[in-house]
Amino acid sequence: MRGSAARLLGVLPVLLLGVAGGAAHGMDDGALMVAHRGGTLRLTAASSGGSVDPQIAYEQQNLQIEAPVYDGLMAFPKSGCGDAVRPVPDLADGMPEIRDGGRTYVFRLRQGIRFSDGHVLDVEDVAATMRRIFRVNSPAAGPYFSNLLGAAPCLAGQGRCDLSNGVVADAAAGTVTFHLARPDTDFLYKLAFPQAAIVPAGTPGHDTGNVAPPGTGPYRITFYDPDRVMRLERNPYFRVWDGLAQPDGFPDRIVYSFGLDEEAEVTAVENGQYDWMLDMPPRDRLGELGDRYVPRVHLSDMLVVWYMEMNVRLAPFNVPEVRRALNDAVDRHAMVLHEGGPALAYPACDMIPRGIPSHDPECAYGRGASVAHPAPSWQGVDMARARALVAASGTAGQDVTVVTMNTSMGRVLGQAVRETLAELGYHAIVRPITPVVEFSYLQNTSNAVQIGFTGWQADYPAPGAFLHTLFACDSFHPSSDNSLNMSGFCDPAIDRLMDDAAAAQQGDPTRADAMWQQADAAIMAQAPVVPLVQTRRLDLVSARVGHVLSSAYYMVLLAQLWVH
Amino acid sequence: MVMTVLRRLGQTLFVLVGISVLVFLVFFATPGADPTARIAGRNASPETMARVRVEYGFDRPLPVQYARMMEKLFVTRDLTSYVNRGQKVVPEILEAAPVTVSLVSGAAVIWVVLSVVMGVIAAALRGSWVDRGLMMLGLVGISIPVFWLGQVVNLVTQSRYHESWLFSWVPGLGYVPLTEDPLGWFRALALPWLTLAVLFVGIYSRVLRADLVAVQSEDFMRTARAKGLSPARVLLVHGLRTSMITFVSLFGLDFAQLVGGGALLTEVVFGLQGVGRLTYQALSNLDLPLIMATVMYSAVFVVIANAVVDMLYLLLDPRVRDGR
Repeated sequence: MRGSAARLLGVLPVLLLGVAGGAAHGMDDGALMVAHRGGTLRLTAASSGGSVDPQIAYEQQNLQIEAPVYDGLMAFPKSGCGDAVRPVPDLADGMPEIRDGGRTYVFRLRQGIRFSDGHVLDVEDVAATMRRIFRVNSPAAGPYFSNLLGAAPCLAGQGRCDLSNGVVADAAAGTVTFHLARPDTDFLYKLAFPQAAIVPAGTPGHDTGNVAPPGTGPYRITFYDPDRVMRLERNPYFRVWDGLAQPDGFPDRIVYSFGLDEEAEVTAVENGQYDWMLDMPPRDRLGELGDRYVPRVHLSDMLVVWYMEMNVRLAPFNVPEVRRALNDAVDRHAMVLHEGGPALAYPACDMIPRGIPSHDPECAYGRGASVAHPAPSWQGVDMARARALVAASGTAGQDVTVVTMNTSMGRVLGQAVRETLAELGYHAIVRPITPVVEFSYLQNTSNAVQIGFTGWQADYPAPGAFLHTLFACDSFHPSSDNSLNMSGFCDPAIDRLMDDAAAAQQGDPTRADAMWQQADAAIMAQAPVVPLVQTRRLDLVSARVGHVLSSAYYMVLLAQLWVH
Repeated sequence: MVMTVLRRLGQTLFVLVGISVLVFLVFFATPGADPTARIAGRNASPETMARVRVEYGFDRPLPVQYARMMEKLFVTRDLTSYVNRGQKVVPEILEAAPVTVSLVSGAAVIWVVLSVVMGVIAAALRGSWVDRGLMMLGLVGISIPVFWLGQVVNLVTQSRYHESWLFSWVPGLGYVPLTEDPLGWFRALALPWLTLAVLFVGIYSRVLRADLVAVQSEDFMRTARAKGLSPARVLLVHGLRTSMITFVSLFGLDFAQLVGGGALLTEVVFGLQGVGRLTYQALSNLDLPLIMATVMYSAVFVVIANAVVDMLYLLLDPRVRDGR
């Protein structure tokens, strides 16, 4: 572990140079396309990502592969250039006109765009897609679009759901107007979220499963068997309308095979049997990659924070001093080493990851830091203060069960936190449970989890998608498997602060960023979580692949890879 | 005869119902296993969760849910996975079965031939260093975990020495259908066959040797020898046939459980999309419809294999045939 981390540290400067070099080729210019267009790109993953219905798919894997298949009115840039976390117009012909104090958004639709079945995109497709989001029980329906006028019966699945007041399509003017019940400054982000991808009006009102509805991007999914393979071919009707929002792709075909484990995937990509692997290489292969495959390794930031959620309604974490003590005592540097070293992870002190404009690198906990006077970055543990806080709380000696996911990362980090709790005087044990269950298990208050290890990658890259989703009072749903506020944290004053920050977003983004930082600091002052690390992605490609571009949102931009 | 068949059918039904009820109850007793949240998706609102619960019938009493699942699995055969919701599990298993059958059949040929040869030689040369060497080899084969052996085979043939002349013929991991490319099929499966067969060669050769040794003192063997038959004929015709009874009954059960998904580790390690890997995938994802389907499929095979083994006894052992 240490050896491989050290080797990766040694090659870090080279890797970073490689990333910078890749980014320099970010432009989608015609010369590159002429020189490198064609061929078959072969991808591999241990398993598939479930339904390919864009209104249903929510695994990162499918969001990534469907990025060059579908478009929304807005999109996060897919070209590797520009600010990857700010939505840009995609099928909309420019930014919308915003009226009524942020309650009305008027989009003008681009003309002449066709779906992969030849059908011409029109405003009715947009309106039908918004209705479909509710009809197919899209996860986005409740949290992102229930604010549309007339959405209540759609969400409940009762009565007539036509959204005629919420989404107005004007074919003559070529516009689509959204009417919201309340201003929503994240609305453009929500429309850029891939579940709001526009599909033809005639698309069935149920999860299409293995059959991908036609899209407007440069590729179409022609075959999908979740046990074996997904095939993508060019959309014959695609013409570039905006190289930033939806550039053309390089390979003629993309074949995505499923079934190898991570070890086998690494070997297959090294051997050139595949061009790219989805899963992160196992730690025991990192040294080999650092030694022999440096030019083929690419590192990029991910907008994911791994953290321990502490249940603020259960002992001993119902006492704020205990939560603060654990924040002082958990060694973030050790966590970074567990995750492969500084090339592969950053220590995390707060819940807005770097890459989001409101990220603040300061730490309120650890050596030389306090809530009132944060340190510029993580400086190391402060065990003396942590022990004093626990002593003051009178909770030492209590039983604590650390729930973690039964993965190598979960077991290692869970065990490290257990040891820290034991050092602070608790009788701590670790309970690893299968990862597929753990995420919902932690959320359900009926399971009475005291402290659990989890991670969060927001649906869209805005501070509210981290802070509001994880800590707002209305994100807490007792006895539900879908209650992302796992700590059960609720502070109306912080809710107001977040609402104000969201309201400021439209008119004064700089002020809004500062307010989000304040909200983040206020949450961390009460410490409902222990942020641990922000991990980075390591992408290994075959020798014949070039033009490796990443987006913090979509990870590697698969359609931008070229094959020799 | 009719009663025997009916009795066998009754037993089969009893086993299938028992296993399916058990799987169903264990699934719903597992904390956090409720599939509603996973189907509804991350961050889904309570309203969406409620609609999904109704749509999938998770709000109905457990017996009703069980009956509906069995109906979809056995009658309408349109039971779909909770994870890949476009995937009907019955066709999914039928598509995976040829992969497993290919893997297990090839391995079975290898292990039957090798274990018979090894067992017979060891019994014929009982007590010699050849006997001890072969049996030691068998023990080594039994002791090596198949997943470890598979990983080492992959390490050597796919990674460390893949470029060498010895292993440059080895294709990337995965399955090639026999109908598409017979040579590719053979090359893709050669190493998985050998890996899977190693354990069984060890077991079967030791079992066969022990039976051959035990049968030497039987009356019919003495008679055969007294008739003046050659030692080879006595061993191969009279001894081997009788000793194959245990061998065949073991083979029937092993073959059936492997075809039913027991070659799970080999399939996972070699990236073969067979029934075993489906079972592994279903368990990893806690995908109840696929778990149920793979378990039922496996149970059916084991029950059928038992019946076939009983029939084979009649052919192999005259004492069973004559009712003695």
